[in-house]
Amino acid sequence: MSITAETAKEHAHDPAVLCCRAEAGITIEPANLEDPAIFDDLVDSGLLSLDGCLTIEEVLGAKLTKTCDSLCPLTADVLDGVKAPSAPAEEEEEEAAPAAAPVAAPAAAPVAGGVMKIHIGEGKDIDLEIPVGALGAGGAAAVAVPAGAESTVAGAAPAEAEEEKVVRTLTRKHFNITEVKRGPETKIEGTTLYIREGIEQEVIDNQELVKDFHLEIITPENYHTYSETIMDVQPIATKEGDADLGTGVTRVLDGVVMMLTGTDEDGVQIGEFGSSEGYLDENIMWNRPGCPDKGEIFIKGNIVIQEKTNMERRGPMAAHTAFDVITQEIREVMKELDESLVSDTEELKQVRRPGKKKVVIVKEIMGQGAMHDNFILPVEPVGILGARANVDLGNVPVCVSPLEVLDGCIHALTCIGPASKEMSRHYWREPLVLEALHDPEVDLCGVVFVGSPQINAEKFYVSKRVGHTVEMMDVDGAFVTTEGFGNNHIDFASHIEQIGMRGVPVVGMSYCAVQGALVVGNKHMTYMVDNNKSESGIENEVLGCNTLCEEDAIRALAMLKTAMGGEEVKAAEKKWNPNVKSTNVELIEAAYGKKVDLVDNEQSLPMSQKRKEKYD
Amino acid sequence: MGNVQILLRQHVGAPCAPCVEVGADVKKGTLIAAPTGLGANIFSSVYGKVTEITDDRIIIEPAAEQPDEFVPIDVPEDASKLDMVKAAGIVGMGGAGFPTGVKLNINLAETPLAELDPEINPELPADFKLEHSYILVNAAECEPGLEHNIKQLVEQTDKVIRGVKYCMEITHADKAIFAIKKKHHDAIKKLDAALKDEADISMHFLADIYPMGEERAVVRECLGVNLLPTQLPSAARSVVVNLETAAKVAEAIDEKKPCITKNLTVRGKLNGGNAAHVFMDVPVGVSVGELIEKAGGIDGEYGEIVMGGAFTGKSTTVDEPITKTTGGILVSVEFPDLHGANVGLLVCACGGSEDRMREIAEKMNGKVVSVCRCKQAIESKPGAPLKCLRPGNCPGQVKNNLQFKKDKCEYIIIGNCSDCSNTVMASGPKMGLKVFHQTDHVMRAVGHPLYRSLKISKEVSQDIDF
Repeated sequence: MSITAETAKEHAHDPAVLCCRAEAGITIEPANLEDPAIFDDLVDSGLLSLDGCLTIEEVLGAKLTKTCDSLCPLTADVLDGVKAPSAPAEEEEEEAAPAAAPVAAPAAAPVAGGVMKIHIGEGKDIDLEIPVGALGAGGAAAVAVPAGAESTVAGAAPAEAEEEKVVRTLTRKHFNITEVKRGPETKIEGTTLYIREGIEQEVIDNQELVKDFHLEIITPENYHTYSETIMDVQPIATKEGDADLGTGVTRVLDGVVMMLTGTDEDGVQIGEFGSSEGYLDENIMWNRPGCPDKGEIFIKGNIVIQEKTNMERRGPMAAHTAFDVITQEIREVMKELDESLVSDTEELKQVRRPGKKKVVIVKEIMGQGAMHDNFILPVEPVGILGARANVDLGNVPVCVSPLEVLDGCIHALTCIGPASKEMSRHYWREPLVLEALHDPEVDLCGVVFVGSPQINAEKFYVSKRVGHTVEMMDVDGAFVTTEGFGNNHIDFASHIEQIGMRGVPVVGMSYCAVQGALVVGNKHMTYMVDNNKSESGIENEVLGCNTLCEEDAIRALAMLKTAMGGEEVKAAEKKWNPNVKSTNVELIEAAYGKKVDLVDNEQSLPMSQKRKEKYD
Repeated sequence: MGNVQILLRQHVGAPCAPCVEVGADVKKGTLIAAPTGLGANIFSSVYGKVTEITDDRIIIEPAAEQPDEFVPIDVPEDASKLDMVKAAGIVGMGGAGFPTGVKLNINLAETPLAELDPEINPELPADFKLEHSYILVNAAECEPGLEHNIKQLVEQTDKVIRGVKYCMEITHADKAIFAIKKKHHDAIKKLDAALKDEADISMHFLADIYPMGEERAVVRECLGVNLLPTQLPSAARSVVVNLETAAKVAEAIDEKKPCITKNLTVRGKLNGGNAAHVFMDVPVGVSVGELIEKAGGIDGEYGEIVMGGAFTGKSTTVDEPITKTTGGILVSVEFPDLHGANVGLLVCACGGSEDRMREIAEKMNGKVVSVCRCKQAIESKPGAPLKCLRPGNCPGQVKNNLQFKKDKCEYIIIGNCSDCSNTVMASGPKMGLKVFHQTDHVMRAVGHPLYRSLKISKEVSQDIDF
């Protein structure tokens, strides 16, 4: 069907195909163009080939030089006056003026069309193994934009402007490390961290299942080092005095991270759907919240656990517990460091904004067992001691303060699908928590962690708890985030439904794109943000590539504000279309007048043999 | 001549109320029913006796002798031209049947250009103005197979032009434009010669595609202005009149003649071939069967009899009478038998209503499993007939085809215009949908190409280059 000027703008970067016969000499306008939303079906059924097809923004206003029939893809040889394509990221400035008016509200992904629907009424021991890759086109995801939201939210605010309240603060004292060496004792001298020689044996002895352990210091010069799959990336941090997580003072080392890698005795990677083994510089998406930053030194421990325990819960748990022996020894040293070594101090404030739209963040974390577990609320940031395993808690919702999240209250045991999983360090720098905390237009009341159990009956058990938990918070809006894809999307969808059915608008955030297309859906899943960054929309096994980043948090906040403001968020197309994101980012930039910097994806990394063979 | 049945509703508006009694003797031009609301006077079209009055018609038994004289319309000496048009009971003869006396009751000189929707008028400059006001004469004869309009234009050129000038005078329009398909070379030459001294009347040539005679299509073609379905031509400082209506206006004013006859085309599966039989000045109320017999009679088995055009007409029976708006009586070939196969209907404003399409599907023995509506078919108010947002310019149809596929249709029946039919054909057959057009059975009967792919341009040059 022909499209409107508004639709043409939203699909500026999509292929331009004539909806109907058009005669030579006409000027191409939106009414001449077919709606890109149906191209997938047409391409699938062989009715349409988009080879060489120009984009909508390129053809609008151009003159057709040859009479063409319906469903003809517009190519340069039949047009005069084709415009140059704009890079999606560069055009906001000129687009800004018109967009500032209540423009098109953008997209979100309902999950309906063409999607495989799984209804699970009641049951137990239902193992859903879904060949996610095979699902191809499913309800994917998208994004939204403020449009009127800004005015709506802002308009409501001044009337009841109350003072911001600082509930509590957390101070981070940073200590800079420029060199990591081995030595007779663990100590920090100036900016050099020494790790005691022979500590490896204590790691091995700490856990019966740990059969071997090697410690490597990886500096930027030797990033091109082969590694087994990366099981976790952790900040090195400790509390001052008796302070609980999320309060008081935390000391943290800059320039260095802990990195746990491993296999079992048979050499099997400790991962499920994919693993990130390979050369480090080819398999780490630098500077993702959960990943090392380029230039940092890794204290990389490679652990070997008992054969066949890689897919049992006790295997990964033993690996993480044993590795913490080293981190804990460093923490002890840090506690004694002289204040004069503090290179930077930052104060994180937990702010409440009475009168503003009250929002809650529900983060779904893995709780199926094996490496799909999380230690919640250790005594030390991302520690082991004092923490309770998510699985042991029954995966029920646990409410935490935003500062507890940022202070390392989650020690993550992640391995499945490395590109979409949140490492421990992710929580330490959780972008959505930071954005929501700093956004003067919303009142972030807290964060709820909920596990994703293996069994479906349990999935609905916990999602109903989420519904009631959120209900009693009286929030105006909620975020539900998840990591990974597939099985966990069942409870992800259920959480959104449980909150949505209580009349609270919910923005869902997940990696979806092509491979992670949602397998279930419901009518409350109207506001979706896709965390995908990969070029082809896949789980590319590059560590952290498709995890929640600042740009996703910005989009999610804009979408939730739009939804809370009662504005329309348009449905995304049936098939994943990365242009939805770029268009929404442009709209956000125009509406808020600020630049949204988009992160790189795997294409910025040297090509690994594995990626070459399997993916790209 | 069999009994004449004069329907009490032959126009847009409410049925008229009879003003004669059973047994009354009537002449040509005797007022027999008057409007009760929006409507137009209805006169006897024959000499004879009223034998029956039912809820919807007056039945007259015609006398053996039928002189040409008629009772002139009853208007005062100083009656205005508009009053004469009203008194004569003229309605839109092209088929719409809107009372002409109401339509012409407008001062176009003082009617400003209405606000135009920029979305459907992307090429108009912001300061666009219409310097003139117009009578647009619909000479498109848009429905395929009909020939009575063009025949009248050729044979009664002066009368038609006179009627047009009266319409201009009544409405204070300073220009008139004949909208005519360029394929009618003879009519164009005749008209061109007749207009050589008429500085304010011109011609605009139309391509031979359907629809061109739709009121807003005429406005768009002649003036380049796209109107919304809710806008009347007056929004573009115009009134659109059919050429036959214009001739009736001339008769009412010059001869005080009431509107009692109709020109029409009888055509189709008839004995003697499928050429058009044009009958001029047929008394309103004559039966369909009588006219078919006059044209040679039906040739064997047939599908249905369509009253009006193939696109917008309705099925009828031999016993039904013609009205002031009947333009065609078309006898179709037999329907194909789909043996209960799944059928999808693509309903649009250019063709039949959903009911009409369902009727055709039923006659084809198809099972309707899916109904889609063209995106541009707008129901401006609930229950109102659909109107096309951009008549003759397709909005794309592939989405509907996908829906038909999804609904497991084997066949689809479409009622679309030339352009939309072309679009349906671009994807339908490739998807495995077998396409019928609702006019197929009539087009086969009149020897007109089926509506499928569009091979000609929608634009024609405005030069007389033939």
